[in-house]
Amino acid sequence: MNYIIDITLIALSAAIINNFVFYYFVGICPFIGVSRKVDLAFGMGCAVTFVICIAAFISWTFTAYILMPGAPLSSWIAGFFTSPEQAAGIDLSILSYIVYIFAIASSVQFVEMYLRKAFPMLYKSFGVFLPLITTNCAILFACLTIMSKVAGAENPAEAWDLGRALTLAFFGGVGFTISIVIMSGIREELELCDVPKPFRGAAITLIIGGIMAMAFTGFTGVDAGLKKAMTQEKPVVQAVMKEKSMEKGSAL
Amino acid sequence: MTWITVGISAGTLFAMAVVLSYILGWANKAFEIEVDPRVEACIHALPGANCGGCGYVGCGDYAEAVVAGTVNVDKCTVGGENCAKALAEILGVKVEQTFPFRPIIHCGATYSERLGRSPYLGERKCGSANLVSGIQGCTYGCLGFGDCATACAFDAITVVDGLAVVDYEKCVGCGACAKACPRRIITINPFKTERMLAVTCSNLDSGPEVRKVCTVGCIGCKACEKSSGLFKVQNNLSSIDYDKYSLNILDNVELAVKKCPRKRLVFVGKPSSEDMAQVADQELPGLIRAEGKSTVEELKWRG
Repeated sequence: MNYIIDITLIALSAAIINNFVFYYFVGICPFIGVSRKVDLAFGMGCAVTFVICIAAFISWTFTAYILMPGAPLSSWIAGFFTSPEQAAGIDLSILSYIVYIFAIASSVQFVEMYLRKAFPMLYKSFGVFLPLITTNCAILFACLTIMSKVAGAENPAEAWDLGRALTLAFFGGVGFTISIVIMSGIREELELCDVPKPFRGAAITLIIGGIMAMAFTGFTGVDAGLKKAMTQEKPVVQAVMKEKSMEKGSAL
Repeated sequence: MTWITVGISAGTLFAMAVVLSYILGWANKAFEIEVDPRVEACIHALPGANCGGCGYVGCGDYAEAVVAGTVNVDKCTVGGENCAKALAEILGVKVEQTFPFRPIIHCGATYSERLGRSPYLGERKCGSANLVSGIQGCTYGCLGFGDCATACAFDAITVVDGLAVVDYEKCVGCGACAKACPRRIITINPFKTERMLAVTCSNLDSGPEVRKVCTVGCIGCKACEKSSGLFKVQNNLSSIDYDKYSLNILDNVELAVKKCPRKRLVFVGKPSSEDMAQVADQELPGLIRAEGKSTVEELKWRG
């Protein structure tokens, strides 16, 4: 039960409350660049979600087994060459960035090949922005968040498992898709507006992004409230039931 | 311990490289699509700068458009002529010689040369002034309020002494001036040479009528038509057949230019007439030949 609550909260937090674009302000390049049309924006969101999931899977696996201090695989290999105490303390977290970029770049390449074969029109309309997913900071941000939750957890029992990591990645991608689709909808309407000349193009897009970010801060605290409601579900419900029955009794 | 860490790091990255390249290699084969070999050849021939100067997203897009035949082969500004030739060879087409389009203002009369002008106190625009009858004797010529100069986004037109003058160094041939002129005296022509001959008058009236309103306008005397087949006088106005225009026929043209009593046949374009006037008094050799002698021997080695 605790695990389900945890997963729900991570998903809700990544998708809406701590939205990658509006809360952390990462992934702005495609957010500005590919948000001209709704269908294109949705395609971009899907591509980013896919890449983010692959990258999260690779980054969690590598962090948990190889990169984090005292990771099982690396200490097992080191055990052949040195004493068990030293082997247990081996720390490869210095490699994290290069491994994540490696993983992201190859999965982007994979997506590019697949899209070129399966959806040539989508591939064409993405243009230069598809390879640019490689340098999309939203994806690296997700990887680094997962790393901090896995390797940086004070209590080993609280370290994230693969399920939590993939939830964060998938719903982070969903949150990115939500924000970019909303943005593209607004920009489609914006085409018909008479925007003052200095604000045209990227400027008005950034201003709208800022206003939307302010709107999204309205979700702050929803996760804490939800957690409270979910963990204290029974007492609250019982109290309400009691009150109701008492009211009924008095009315009768 | 340090060496073990280094070794394991290297091993991790190496293993990752092997696995991922294997996966990507498989994907490359699995998702292979047939590309027109000409497209690939075109991509190789292009500079690969992906600058977008041709109006396409990148060199790949432009190569596809070229092979599809929707666009000319000479659009790549980075690759230039050689690139166009290479593309044409791949596609088996010929590179057509293209000329830049530049405006010619078909009026050559300044304020003092235009007769019958009346004071005009309205809006300082040719478009408004053109609606007023009797503003100047010539109903064909330049009004001098500079609608064309306003329309020009490149600062290439200035009104000098009531007459619009094109700076061909700045002009890019967009044609905005021709659209702006209410009297339609600006035409956009292919400039086969840097300096082009032009008839700088638009008046279609008969000779005596023209004399009344302008001291320089074309009177339709047909002197030019008699000396060169390049000219044709229609509706009392000389016109140039630019299809026939080339450097080879310039000898006859020179005669026509000299014979024109009103001096309406002038050369326009680069270099400007002021530049030409500056060097007019200097003796210039007709043709400069290379000597074919090295100057290296005469220099002292100072290294």
